[in-house]
Amino acid sequence: MARHNVRRRKPPTTNQISAYLLHHLQSLIFSLGKIYQAPTTTIMTVAVIGITLSLPGGFYLFLKNIDAVSGDFRSSTQISLYLDLGTSEKQARRLEKDIAGMDSVATTRFISRAQSLEEFRRDSGFGKSIDTLSSNPLPHTIVVEPDEAETFTVRSLQNRLQAIPEVKIAKLDTEWLERLYTIIEIAKRSVTIITILFAFAVLLIIGNTIRLDIQNRYQEIIVTKLIGATDAFIRRPFLYGGVWYGLLGGIISWLIVEIGYLSISGPLARLNLLYKSDMNLITFSFQDFVVLIASSTLLGLAGSWIAVARHLNQIEPT
Amino acid sequence: MIEFHNVTKRYESGFQALSNVSLRLNDGQMAFITGHSGAGKSTLLKIIAMIEKPTRGQALLNKINLNNLSRQRIPFLRRNIGIIFQDHQLLFDRPVFENVALPLQIQGYRPQEIAKRTRAALDKVGLLHKEKSLPITLSGGEQQRVGIARAVVHKPMLLLADEPTGNLDPMLSREIMQIFVDFNQVGVTVLVASHDLRLIEELDKPRLTLNAGQLILNDLDQYDSGDQYGSS
Repeated sequence: MARHNVRRRKPPTTNQISAYLLHHLQSLIFSLGKIYQAPTTTIMTVAVIGITLSLPGGFYLFLKNIDAVSGDFRSSTQISLYLDLGTSEKQARRLEKDIAGMDSVATTRFISRAQSLEEFRRDSGFGKSIDTLSSNPLPHTIVVEPDEAETFTVRSLQNRLQAIPEVKIAKLDTEWLERLYTIIEIAKRSVTIITILFAFAVLLIIGNTIRLDIQNRYQEIIVTKLIGATDAFIRRPFLYGGVWYGLLGGIISWLIVEIGYLSISGPLARLNLLYKSDMNLITFSFQDFVVLIASSTLLGLAGSWIAVARHLNQIEPT
Repeated sequence: MIEFHNVTKRYESGFQALSNVSLRLNDGQMAFITGHSGAGKSTLLKIIAMIEKPTRGQALLNKINLNNLSRQRIPFLRRNIGIIFQDHQLLFDRPVFENVALPLQIQGYRPQEIAKRTRAALDKVGLLHKEKSLPITLSGGEQQRVGIARAVVHKPMLLLADEPTGNLDPMLSREIMQIFVDFNQVGVTVLVASHDLRLIEELDKPRLTLNAGQLILNDLDQYDSGDQYGSS
């Protein structure tokens, strides 16, 4: 007697793993085909994702540039010692040697009164008026570079240097730098908040798109359920759809930021020229690019997962 | 194959679609379910297809109790059934071949095997030459035959058909019914819900007649058990 046994009958399938991989590949291609078949919807969704992600992306790049510039400032922390006008050059040079031997001092540089005047004449553009002065108003200067940029160390060194009798003023230009760092820190946290909010927005956009997609394919879902499709089988093309949206959106956002960068770099080069600075704009590194694309893809997967979990199980044949 | 023991189905609306229905359809048997619309024909099929669960009583498919199946098991059990709908339920966004191949894809068959079996099923319903057509370009009868090809492509043990000839003219209806008879002759158990009494008269098969949810006629026992291999 040939009784069919529901549980033991096995179709001549490939082994389970390759069948599984095959369906993943099919879903991948199928979902790409769906995207291709509905270009308008896809372009709109992807553009919204791209624009949304380009904001945090752009802010990130802006901060990265600010960081690079301010890093230069930090490494150039120095204390300028303006000596009493009555100090002779010999005394001043001896003093420089003493200071060079002090704790927390990395390097010292001596600039004599004559040198200072010469530099000032050359750089300030007031050469003619300086020539009319009867005596040199500038003091001998010793420039001290601390061996670390840590605020407390620098400040205590400044105090010790100020205590030296020949030193009239020990000037440390870090206060504005501290303020700048605080502002940058605030900006960084704001960018973090913006990034979280916008990531959430992308999640909602993709979730909603996939939800509509599920609704549009309601009939197909019911039919496939009736012919024995598992939940995972039905879920897969939608999840890949989300992945595609995220991936394409990520690429769009990268393009937007790059185009923005290019449009700024022209005027910035001119500004550099005007300020005689050599500030260079930094763009996305390869690592940044990978992180951007990977996180938008993951957002796509997460968004579609949420939509699928919420809506797919509700669809049952009746 | 199918056993109902005092099955009652009451919907949430309070409507009682089936009342104390008991029946037994053996392996390899073919039967018709008849009755007016609203008599419970569809509900009976839906319970077998695991779309609905009995409110009371027991429904068994191959000795498996359908009353308390887990969600995870249902897809695998459905793979033993081929379902044919009155409105075909084809997917209009893909060609005939893809529609028929779907059950095999779901079950993870090899691509070469899928192509072979899909063409065999299409050949069986006489639509091999239409494999690349989109369903929308086919006539009603052709669409229904595609639906049948899809239902049999994975060689199910049981075929369920809900008003398969509902929208077809008498000649096409006869052709479709003949396809079911042919499948039954190769050992497939077939259960067809239909109100096309004239056509049913022509085919000498047992009948289950429902009226307001009650089984008022059951001549399954008067026919041969249908199991060519012996009684079960």
